[in-house]
Amino acid sequence: MTGPGCGRTVLIVEDDADTRLALAEVLEDVNYRPLHAANGAAALQELRAATTAPCVILLDVMMPIMDGRAFRAEQQKDPALSEIPVVVLSAHADLDNAAEQMQAAGFLRKPVELSALLATVAQFCAQE
Amino acid sequence: MENHLVQDELSALRASAELRAVTDSILDYAIVLLDPQGVVLTWNTGAQQIEGYTAEEIVGQRFDRLYTAEDRAAGRPQALLTAALRTGRTEDEGWRLRKDGSRFWADEVISLLRGAKGAVEGYVKVTRDLTRRHTDEEQRRKESTLLTVASVTDYAIFMLDPQGTINSWNLGAERAKGYRADEAIGRNFSIFYTPEDQAAGKPLHLLRRAQDEGRVEDEGWRVRKDGTRFWADVVISRVNDGNGKLVGFTKVTRDLTERRRAEEQLRQAEERLRLMIESVQDYAIFMLDREGRVATWNRGAQHIKGYTAQEIVGQHFSRFYPPEEISAGKPELELEVARSKGRFEEEGWRIRKDGSRFWANVVLSATRNRDGALIGFTKITRDLSERKRATDEMAERARQQSVAAELGLYALQTAQLTLVIERSMQTIRETLQIDDVRILRAGESAPPGARTVRILAPEPDAEYGFLAASASRPFTPNDVRFLQAVANVVAVAMARSQSEEQLRLAEREAVEERGRSVRIQEALLERDEFISVAAHELRTPLTALQLKLQGLESSGGFPHSKGERLGAAVRQTERLARLIDRLLDVSRIAQGRVEMAPEIFDLAALVRQVAEDFREPAAQARMAFELQVPEKVEGSWDRLRIEQVLVNLLSNAVKYGAGKPITVKLEEVGDVVRLSVADRGIGIAPDDVDRVFGRFQRAAPIRNYGGMGLGLYITRHIVEAHRGTISVASKPGEGSTFVVELPRLSASAAAGRDKVPRARA
Repeated sequence: MTGPGCGRTVLIVEDDADTRLALAEVLEDVNYRPLHAANGAAALQELRAATTAPCVILLDVMMPIMDGRAFRAEQQKDPALSEIPVVVLSAHADLDNAAEQMQAAGFLRKPVELSALLATVAQFCAQE
Repeated sequence: MENHLVQDELSALRASAELRAVTDSILDYAIVLLDPQGVVLTWNTGAQQIEGYTAEEIVGQRFDRLYTAEDRAAGRPQALLTAALRTGRTEDEGWRLRKDGSRFWADEVISLLRGAKGAVEGYVKVTRDLTRRHTDEEQRRKESTLLTVASVTDYAIFMLDPQGTINSWNLGAERAKGYRADEAIGRNFSIFYTPEDQAAGKPLHLLRRAQDEGRVEDEGWRVRKDGTRFWADVVISRVNDGNGKLVGFTKVTRDLTERRRAEEQLRQAEERLRLMIESVQDYAIFMLDREGRVATWNRGAQHIKGYTAQEIVGQHFSRFYPPEEISAGKPELELEVARSKGRFEEEGWRIRKDGSRFWANVVLSATRNRDGALIGFTKITRDLSERKRATDEMAERARQQSVAAELGLYALQTAQLTLVIERSMQTIRETLQIDDVRILRAGESAPPGARTVRILAPEPDAEYGFLAASASRPFTPNDVRFLQAVANVVAVAMARSQSEEQLRLAEREAVEERGRSVRIQEALLERDEFISVAAHELRTPLTALQLKLQGLESSGGFPHSKGERLGAAVRQTERLARLIDRLLDVSRIAQGRVEMAPEIFDLAALVRQVAEDFREPAAQARMAFELQVPEKVEGSWDRLRIEQVLVNLLSNAVKYGAGKPITVKLEEVGDVVRLSVADRGIGIAPDDVDRVFGRFQRAAPIRNYGGMGLGLYITRHIVEAHRGTISVASKPGEGSTFVVELPRLSASAAAGRDKVPRARA
């Protein structure tokens, strides 16, 4: 999956501040290091500025400025970023289709069960 | 008509009286009457004797058969007739054929026979058998001839010397004149003449003419020995010796008393004809003189024209014409045409004595005497008024029918009733030339004197009203028929207008209904859209809430009571999440967006697993679970959806089971798998049984989605998407049994029916 040294970092790309915060909180509770971005453009900035690439990106689909699909396209164009796995996070009905189209590593349906969230994130950080 | 009658009579008279009497008694001459085509009409005794046929055998046959085959082939019989026709008479000597096939040498004279008006009536053929003369010597021929002559009784045939002295006598002469041979021979033939003729020197005059011209014919009174007179036809022919020197005369006298009698009969026939003409009622038959003045008058003329003979004879016939034709010179023109062409015929108006007109057929014929001089005109007039009236009536009726048909066509093409009625009234006014016609409702009173016809609706016993037409003239049956035809058109137009009105109403209702249903559809779509959006909107805050609560709960370290409350909050958010999921399911179902992902799995195992999940809540509700599930039931279904069905049915059973045992049964019935979930709880009221599975598509109020209804609605749609059925049997207070039947391979089959894209497996 991802290379060593992701350091339990997880990038959360979510426009809803409460949801973003709640995700960050529960991940921090189990010793992940969440990074925040409110949209795709902010996420790209965050990634390029970061010293350590995250283990996984939790990516919302519907966002202002740059949505999940656009971010994913930009990410795949950047060789420095393209290898970072993405888990799509959405309330969208056909989330599974969307995830497939975006060539995501996985998907989580909102509202997200804590156990499911932790199990998924753990998959990408397990080799640490 | 007149001519035929006269000719028929003439022919009959000639045949019967004149010819038959004369010819039948002659044995040595075949005297035969032929019609213009050569068909034998009469056959005398001589003919039978000479030619061998009886009258019965030959009358009605063509005379050709009397000729040899060679002659027939050469067209000789017809040639003889043609010659006689051209010259009046033809003589021929040659072989003729007897009935038995033998030939005889014949002398034959064929004479043209003309009727009174010069028309060809036929031919007289006189044939003598000359076989002996031809084969024997001259002397024997002479003797034979003499014998023959002597035996002729109907002709007085005798010889005179050049001075007119009688020197031979025959039986016919004795019979005609009453003198025996010894009394006559030696006396001058003038004794047969009347004193007047003798005084006028007629006998001698005739002899001189015969001497000069070879032959003289005379018709006149002759005197018998007893002094009585008879009407005779006399032919005196000059007889020469071998050197052409006059040796005497033959005299053939025919007693024409018979003929005179026949002529008398003819006159009587003519008289009868005249009487008949006079008595004819239906034809005005009368004569005009050369100037056009009425000369004779018959009853028909009186009947038709109204004048008596006394009133009209001597008057000019122009008074029968309408003034405009008189001034146009019509009567004179007609006379001129009849004069030049012989005949004039026309149909036109004529005037009766009382001034009234009648439609007449008129035939005007020029009448000429024997010399061809015009003596006047025959006029036959027939009153055709009745016929013309009938014809006119037919024409009028045809015209009215065509007008009615045209109106019908107009009514067919014109939707607006008022236009049809307007046109109908106009049509009646124009066609019948009347001023007032109106449509009245049944029960209204028509103007006095108006003619009415009913306007009857197509349905029996229904009447729209009636047409009332008024005119100063009486209405003919045709007029009434026409009015009825128009009334029928109006009735049909009214009926159509009524049904169109009904149709329009029905159409308007349909449009409104369609509008309503479109609005309902739109409202439904809008609502489903709203549910979908709302559900998605709800999920985002729910995500934060649920994560925070679950994070708190899992971090632990709360006092027991607070931990309990936190757990309750977590369960409530989880329930909220499930509720939102259901709402999304409902909206997806309503929008036809249910996606099936069939896979082959063991339904028995799934039932056991779900039942296991419910073991705990059931135990909490102190309910017993009874499972009647086979070892393995495999089939192709959407696993998650079927799980949803099981969860819904079991949660309902737990919820409404009133703490009583729940039975879950799974069985295989042929290709169908039957799942039943039975509780013994509160049951469902009969009125609600039908509503249990939701009335979503009928825009049921949204509050019906709550509770049980929503889950069962989703359940029903999942089952139906698998081409299965779901039913419930329930009694209030006794519990409910839900039965789901699923075809084993239903999901894949059902997927084909769905319009939604297939989900990936």
